[in-house]
Amino acid sequence: MRSLRIVLWVLVAIAAAVFAYVMLKPVPTAQPQDEAFSLASFGGPFTLTGSDGKPFTSSALSGKPYGIFFGFTHCPDVCPTTLARMVKLRNKLGAGARPFEIVFVTVDPERDGPAEVGKYAELFNSSVIGLTGTPAQISQVKKQFGIYSRKVPDQSGSYSVDHTATVLLFDRNGRFTGTIAPEESDTAALAKLKRITS
Amino acid sequence: MKRLLLAALLLASCGQTGSPDLKVSDAWARETVAGQTSTAAYLTISNQGTADDRLLSIAASEPAKATIHATESSGGISRMRELSSGLAVPAGSKIELKPGGTHVMIMDLGAPLRRGDTLKLRLRFEKSGEKPVDVRVAPATGPESH
Repeated sequence: MRSLRIVLWVLVAIAAAVFAYVMLKPVPTAQPQDEAFSLASFGGPFTLTGSDGKPFTSSALSGKPYGIFFGFTHCPDVCPTTLARMVKLRNKLGAGARPFEIVFVTVDPERDGPAEVGKYAELFNSSVIGLTGTPAQISQVKKQFGIYSRKVPDQSGSYSVDHTATVLLFDRNGRFTGTIAPEESDTAALAKLKRITS
Repeated sequence: MKRLLLAALLLASCGQTGSPDLKVSDAWARETVAGQTSTAAYLTISNQGTADDRLLSIAASEPAKATIHATESSGGISRMRELSSGLAVPAGSKIELKPGGTHVMIMDLGAPLRRGDTLKLRLRFEKSGEKPVDVRVAPATGPESH
């Protein structure tokens, strides 16, 4: 019995290793297709729709550093976790005047209209700019910011969206300066935010 | 492959004596705004017993549904997937469901959840049976902030 158990546990270990390899194998990520792509052109001007239903152009952000995050309002975990963290880090940087703007763009414009992104942004008790647009506008902005997203059907007949969960940072001149990944420490993230706000 | 892993696991854990002793703590759910019908809940399960257990499923009050989900990240892309075979709670372990990782996905909420509300969930375990859990509804910024 004892040796059988050992053999079985070895089997478990082998199966787990194979399973882990299959699960953790890197998945190719969306890369900007444009050959002329450069950091200077990354991001760039855009027009979307604000939570008031009126057009929102990126010129409203000129002169202000900002962190931009793409998600969707039916996202229960990663999106609110990321936005709540950005608010927390902003509060740490200093009370009073907002040292940088937090921009949330939906990758699910079919479900997220101006009202949905607006209400979602209010969850965080702090100023978060919620933006939506036509599917064509969203797809254009995703391309400009190198964002991947894909709808995945779920078991309840609805869908979830796989998407880039990295926050992209821009300085007050609209220049791309770096990213904050979900797994990064608050200390590392704060250092990057200090750089765009100083 | 998954099946083989499961079968081998089941066999290997035969002969384990004793029983699991589960404690569920630190349960909170993120508040929602009008029109938002889904959110996430987080909790900690510790097994101070001498046998493994497994969280099989979670029930919420009608019309809401609850499922066990994992957020996986690779290459900067985040994906949410249901853990259809449940969540192992080995003897002596402490399993934390927390933001950005494994979480309870709550869907089809009939009304928004407001901070201070209590969401009632029933956790069904393979050996320990059903455990009711009162989940505190907290601000989106987390249970420690107000």
